Amino acid sequence: MSQSNTNLLLLGNTNKKKRMGVTVMSMEAGIGVMATKLGMMSFFEPDGKVVPVTVVGFREGNIVTQIKSEATDGYDAVQVGYRRVRDKKLTKPELGHLQKAGAIPMRHLQEFRLQSIEGFESNQRLIFEELFKEGDLVDVSGTTIGKGFQGGIKRHNFKRGLMTHGSKSHRALGSIGAGTTPGRVYKGKKMPGRMGGTKRKIRKLKIVKIDNDLNVVLIKGAVPGKPGNLLRIAPAKIVGKNIPKN
Amino acid sequence: MGSKVLPQALLTIPRQPNQCPTKKLVFSNVLSRRSSPLNSARDSFSRVSSTYVGSIFDPIAVAMKKRAFVVRAESNSESEAEAAEEGGAVAVEEPSEVKAEGEGEAGAEKEATLESEEAKPPRKPRIKLGDIMGILNKNAIEASEKERPVPDIRTGDIVEIKLEVPENRRRLSIYKGIVISRQNAGIHTTIRIRRIIAGIGVEIVFPLYSPNIKEIKVVKHRKVRRARLYYLREKLPRLSTFK
Repeated sequence: MSQSNTNLLLLGNTNKKKRMGVTVMSMEAGIGVMATKLGMMSFFEPDGKVVPVTVVGFREGNIVTQIKSEATDGYDAVQVGYRRVRDKKLTKPELGHLQKAGAIPMRHLQEFRLQSIEGFESNQRLIFEELFKEGDLVDVSGTTIGKGFQGGIKRHNFKRGLMTHGSKSHRALGSIGAGTTPGRVYKGKKMPGRMGGTKRKIRKLKIVKIDNDLNVVLIKGAVPGKPGNLLRIAPAKIVGKNIPKN
Repeated sequence: MGSKVLPQALLTIPRQPNQCPTKKLVFSNVLSRRSSPLNSARDSFSRVSSTYVGSIFDPIAVAMKKRAFVVRAESNSESEAEAAEEGGAVAVEEPSEVKAEGEGEAGAEKEATLESEEAKPPRKPRIKLGDIMGILNKNAIEASEKERPVPDIRTGDIVEIKLEVPENRRRLSIYKGIVISRQNAGIHTTIRIRRIIAGIGVEIVFPLYSPNIKEIKVVKHRKVRRARLYYLREKLPRLSTFK
C-alpha cells in the first residue's frame, strides 16, 4: 500500500488524487450560500394555486473567507462564512483565520467544492440575488429535527404486531435474523436508536420568490430543522444537466 | 433617580420631566457613537434609562444637553407619535423642521450636529429575523385587500362567494352557505361553508385571500353561540339549507 503511495508521489500529479489526500466532499454544481430557516407560510400564485413555502432569511454573512486551490490544498473549493458574532465568541485561531481574509468575525464556515474557482476572491460578499433567480431549483441541506431514542416503528417504518387476538408483540422488532446459519445478527440491522439530528439534503426545491427589501427567499416545500436552523443552499445537481464530472 | 435630573430639567424643559432623562441619553449616545441608528437609540433608551445618571456628569455632553435636548425632546415626542415603521429618515428630517419653528439661540449648535447626521444617508431600522414572518403575512394580506377588500366574516354568517375557476374563465361559480368555522392563519385564513346541495351536505373550505375569489358578500346572519358549528352535521338538513 505504502509502496504504491510513494510511486504516485514520484510520478507527480496524477489523476489518482484519492491516494494523496482523501477528499470526501462531493463537488457542487455551483457556489451556494448559507441561510437561516425562518418559518413556513402559504403563497398564492397569480393563477390562484396555493403553494406551501418556507421562508428563508439571511443573517450578516456569506462572505468568502478562503479559496482553496489544487496547488495549495489538493482540491478546488471556496470557503464561505456566515453569521456575524462578537469577537469574544470566537477563539483566537478562528479570529486570526478570518482576519487573514479581512472578514468580519463569523461563526459558521462551510466549503463549496467547485470545478473552477474563477472569479472568487477573499472577503467577497455573495449576494443571493446574483447567484439564483426565481424558478431555479436548489438543494437545501440542514440538520434535521432531533427525535431522541426511537423504536423500530418510528425510526425504520416497521409494521407493528396485532393489537388484539392474543398477540403478545405490538411494537417490538420481531425476528432479527435467521437460525444457526449464520448464527449472528448482520451488521446494520435496523434497530431502535437515536433518530434525527443529522444532516440531510432535500433536492430540487423551487425558488418561488426573492424579496429584496426584507432579504428573504421563499422556497417551495419543506426544509430540515426548525425555524432558526442553519441551512446550506446550493444549485440543484440534476443528472444530465449539471453534475460536475470528476 | 429623578431627583438628580430635576434641577436641570426644570430650568430648561417645562414639560414631561420623566421623558427628559431618557432623551439626554439618546443625545449623548448619538454624540459618542454616531454609527448607531437613530431609531435603535430611541428604542434602547427605555432600557438604559436607569444608568443615565452617570452620563449627566459627562462634561462634553452637559453643555450640549442644555440646549440640544430641548429640540431633541420635541423631535422625539413628535416622531414617537408616528407609525412604528417610519424609517430613520423621518427622525433626521424632523429636527430640521423643528429648527425652523423656533429655538433660535440653540440653532447654531444644533445645526452643526444634526447636519452631520443628515449628511449620512438616512438608515432604515434593522428588521429582526423574528418579525419577518409577521411582516410577510401582513404585506401579503395588504396586497390582497387592495385587489379585493374582504368583509368582516364571523361564524354564523350566511355568505355568498363568487369564485373564478381558471379552467372555466367565462362564468363565475357561486357558492352560498353558512360559515361554520373560521381559521385564522395570516394569509391562509380560511372559512368553511356548509350547505345542503341536492340532498347532500357539502362543506367547502375557502381561503379568504385567494386571488380566485372574486366577491364575498354577507347575505344574512344567524345567531350562534359557538365558534365552530360542527353540530350542524348531526342536525336536520333543514338547518343547513339556503336558497
